[in-house]
Amino acid sequence: MHKYEAMVLKALRAKNHMGFDELVSASGLGRDEALWALESLKQSGMVDIEYGEEELIDISDEGKEYVKDGLAEEQLLRRMLKENIKAAGLQDQKSRIGLQWAKAGGFIHIDAGELKLTEAGKKAAEEGVPEGMLLRRLAKGDYDSKALAQLGQQMHNLSKRKLVAVHSERYINRIGITKKGLDAPEYSDVIEQVDRGVIAGETWKGKEFKRYDVNVGVEGRIPAMRSPIKRIIDQVKDAYVSMGFQEVSGPAIETSFWNFDSLFVPQDHPAREMQDTFYLSKPESAEVESREFVKKIKRAHEKGWHSKWSEDTARQLVLRTHMTSVSARFVYKVIDNIANNREQYSLPVKLFSVGRVFRNEAIDYKHLADLYQMDGIIIGKGLTMANLFDTLTRVYDYMGVEVRFKPSYFPFVEPGAEYQARLKGRDEWIEMGGGGIIREEITGVRRNRLTVLAWGAGVERILLVKDPSLASISELYNNGIGWLRKRRLV
Amino acid sequence: MPVITIDKKYLFRLLGSGTDEKMLKEHAAKLGFEIESTSDKELLLEVTPNRLDLLDAVGLARAIKNFTHRSSSFNYSIAKETEPAFTITVHPSVKRVFPFIAGVVAEGLDLGEAELLDLINFAEKFCGTYGRNRRKIAIGMHNIDAMKPPLTYRCGSDGKFVHLGSTEARLYSEILDSTKQGEAYSGIVRRGKVCHYPELMDSEGTIAFIPIINSERTKITVNTKNMFVDITGTSEYAVNKSADLMAAIFMDMGGRVRRVKVDYGAHQVYTPELQERYISVPLRRMESEIGVQIGFNNVISLANKMGYEAALVGRNIRFRVPEYRLDVIGEQDIVEDIAIGYGYDYIRPIPIAYTQQGGLEEQTSFARKVGEAMVGLGFSELANSYLTNEDINFDRPGLQRDESAVMLKNPKTEAISMLRTWLLPSILKDLGMSTHDKLPQSAYEIDMVFRLKEGMPSESYSLGGATIDPKRNFNDVKAEIGGLMGALGIAHSVSHYRHPSFIEGRCAEIKVGDVHAGFFGELHPKVLKEFGIEEPGTAFEMELEKLQKAR
Repeated sequence: MHKYEAMVLKALRAKNHMGFDELVSASGLGRDEALWALESLKQSGMVDIEYGEEELIDISDEGKEYVKDGLAEEQLLRRMLKENIKAAGLQDQKSRIGLQWAKAGGFIHIDAGELKLTEAGKKAAEEGVPEGMLLRRLAKGDYDSKALAQLGQQMHNLSKRKLVAVHSERYINRIGITKKGLDAPEYSDVIEQVDRGVIAGETWKGKEFKRYDVNVGVEGRIPAMRSPIKRIIDQVKDAYVSMGFQEVSGPAIETSFWNFDSLFVPQDHPAREMQDTFYLSKPESAEVESREFVKKIKRAHEKGWHSKWSEDTARQLVLRTHMTSVSARFVYKVIDNIANNREQYSLPVKLFSVGRVFRNEAIDYKHLADLYQMDGIIIGKGLTMANLFDTLTRVYDYMGVEVRFKPSYFPFVEPGAEYQARLKGRDEWIEMGGGGIIREEITGVRRNRLTVLAWGAGVERILLVKDPSLASISELYNNGIGWLRKRRLV
Repeated sequence: MPVITIDKKYLFRLLGSGTDEKMLKEHAAKLGFEIESTSDKELLLEVTPNRLDLLDAVGLARAIKNFTHRSSSFNYSIAKETEPAFTITVHPSVKRVFPFIAGVVAEGLDLGEAELLDLINFAEKFCGTYGRNRRKIAIGMHNIDAMKPPLTYRCGSDGKFVHLGSTEARLYSEILDSTKQGEAYSGIVRRGKVCHYPELMDSEGTIAFIPIINSERTKITVNTKNMFVDITGTSEYAVNKSADLMAAIFMDMGGRVRRVKVDYGAHQVYTPELQERYISVPLRRMESEIGVQIGFNNVISLANKMGYEAALVGRNIRFRVPEYRLDVIGEQDIVEDIAIGYGYDYIRPIPIAYTQQGGLEEQTSFARKVGEAMVGLGFSELANSYLTNEDINFDRPGLQRDESAVMLKNPKTEAISMLRTWLLPSILKDLGMSTHDKLPQSAYEIDMVFRLKEGMPSESYSLGGATIDPKRNFNDVKAEIGGLMGALGIAHSVSHYRHPSFIEGRCAEIKVGDVHAGFFGELHPKVLKEFGIEEPGTAFEMELEKLQKAR
């Protein structure tokens, strides 16, 4: 608030209503300063201003001349005191106007072409005619602007003679202070909002800065938030990269061959049933790229599972059920390249992938049909379960999660292990994923030449372990803006 | 994973004294399965699907006793020269349905209620898992003393017998329609309009309508002393191996197991075969795969612990594979068992040399940059399902349903029928569910969308964003697109565009060079309303790959 505004408010606080002149004297401001402050206060709703209308008289240029010299008839009357004047001798414009009005006012009569003063004319020659007296009074501003009507016939005559004109004007009749004005803080030489003027004009010098009450409640401003899932995926990827792993990816729509058969999942395995796996109706199937690998896998299945292996079954397209399908593609590719000297690798080759995997669930707020999974492989010589345990311990340690291992079974690894993570701050462990050494039926490589470590795990579960406030994994897919705004950065 | 229920009292009786529940749980965990006590009477057991020998109390007790060195039962062979108990003649007609059969005879059994229930539960669980709900294997148990061997296994026309739990003879076809078992498994014998009736007969009639139900006449009770088990299925290997597993259970129960002769005409098999099988593994291989030093002395003991008889032969260890272990295929399986015997808890992690530099895929690095700019513009990030339906993907945003969607064959609910072809519907759905939260709201998503190209699925990354704000208009989103592209250093041009989701005249196409990269604009009131939004909004969607290439 400006100082002038504060001064006006102060004056008004003493007396709720006043006129403009009263305000000017009470506030100690000049008229223009007061007007400016009032206008600004009115804008911010701190004062009420009641306006009135008044009629003001303007005197025309001709009128102004007459104010100085007297009306035309007055000038004529005064001349008549000094000389005899014949009507015919009055040729100029002004004299003729004077003659006309003097005659009309009954101040003269014409006797044989000579002008004669009447009794009233003698008096008027001395004192002036009534219209002239009124004009001089109006020129001094000596009139009541609200009662112009009382000025009567003379005023009417002056108007008719275009010596005066009337116009109306708005004026401040009454100023009142509003509730907001009463509540406004009293003015002191304290800076509230620092603005450009304060800094550039250095107006802060010699003033105080208003102090804020730091305890006053202020509604928080919410930052735009990353998705908690996407953030943990970034962390997972960073963990792998920090350990020298290269990120790889593969299709989410996959042939059964890469999703199941290449991983030694028997063709009659329950996991492959429609009950658990999404199949596509359009298109239903696709060719498997590598004939050689198809042959190898067919042989392994028929030997290992003692049943016929169908390539048509392997061609069926599914939404991948694990990221291990991506790993399988790379295990095959890398080993094939090495075996055929197609590409040089510096061993061990370390690869990881993170992506969506699918399960045929009846979805509701608690059940999801697609979740993220991460998968890793290391292809090298003389790799051990002890190496696998170390790698996984480090990956999870990067994210502040403790893991432990126990025996378990997955068709494509042997030995196989499941690993569990400790719920933060509790002695409770939940299953995270599994891994092991890929069966040589899949790699087709004798162990003394190359070993492949492989593992896979859910990604959302990492958040569940780290953030005990999360009720379930499905909560992570709430995707409500309100929910997102309440997330902590875990 | 199979979950089975075990009679607690029975299990502890089998384990003998010296085992309490706490110890049992610890041993189980070390072996890789979980035991949970659900009541005073029952234990719930979760085993991995490969360990079919742990689906019953007898097998479980066997494994625990071996593991704790309290007994070592390695030998499940029977003398080759003993005469088979009887012959099952297999008629070629069964080839169309369940072509293979194996039998096991067990004599001198002493069945209590617990024993009987455990056997029945085992058969049920075994057929449910390994037997693929009887589609691959079915097991039937009979009181041999009520049977009149020899047996014939054949596939005939509709027949009649008194089935288990019934008092009068009924037609097979009737049984399929009127019994619980018939309802559950009729799909195996009914193939379209044709129905097969595989039947196992003795000289008095049907003893089993395979794989549906047995006869009342041969049913087993606590009084059954001598039992015959038929195992039928689609794989000769599987039925024979299953017979071996059954035989091991009966032997551990104290029964005397006898073979039956299965005569396929062209060849004959004596089941249970119980063939001795050996796998030799070099110690070095075990040590180098597990990553521990074991030593020759120790490895024999670890083998015994896991149920293998083992001997040192040269530098190799020769393992005798237990007859009940259907899952042991090769050397690797033995390595795993030795690792389990050694204890996963004792395998000390050993780091691998980290010499190479790791790295992210280019698209990941690019997506991170885009995400940074989006958050900077005040957009919060979403992660939606890839799965959607035609209503959300096409109808609500005002699009025509088109042929480019990748459709699912077998979704369980109407909520999903296809893979999403673009991101905006998911984003608008989220915003539509957030209307009670403070405005303005801005959200983006970077993830995959799916379309068919030349009939085959094509997957690509997309960037979508939307803002709901009472003061929104076209220029706001245009400003955002300009800012984003500027931050990414991509020169782009815009021109008028028509898109059903946007108000005509307030929608623009984004081009990088001559390539269409996306669109943006002011959302049409109809579309907003479809998603339950009653405030103005703007949106955009761009193909990430096109932007990446343009840099």
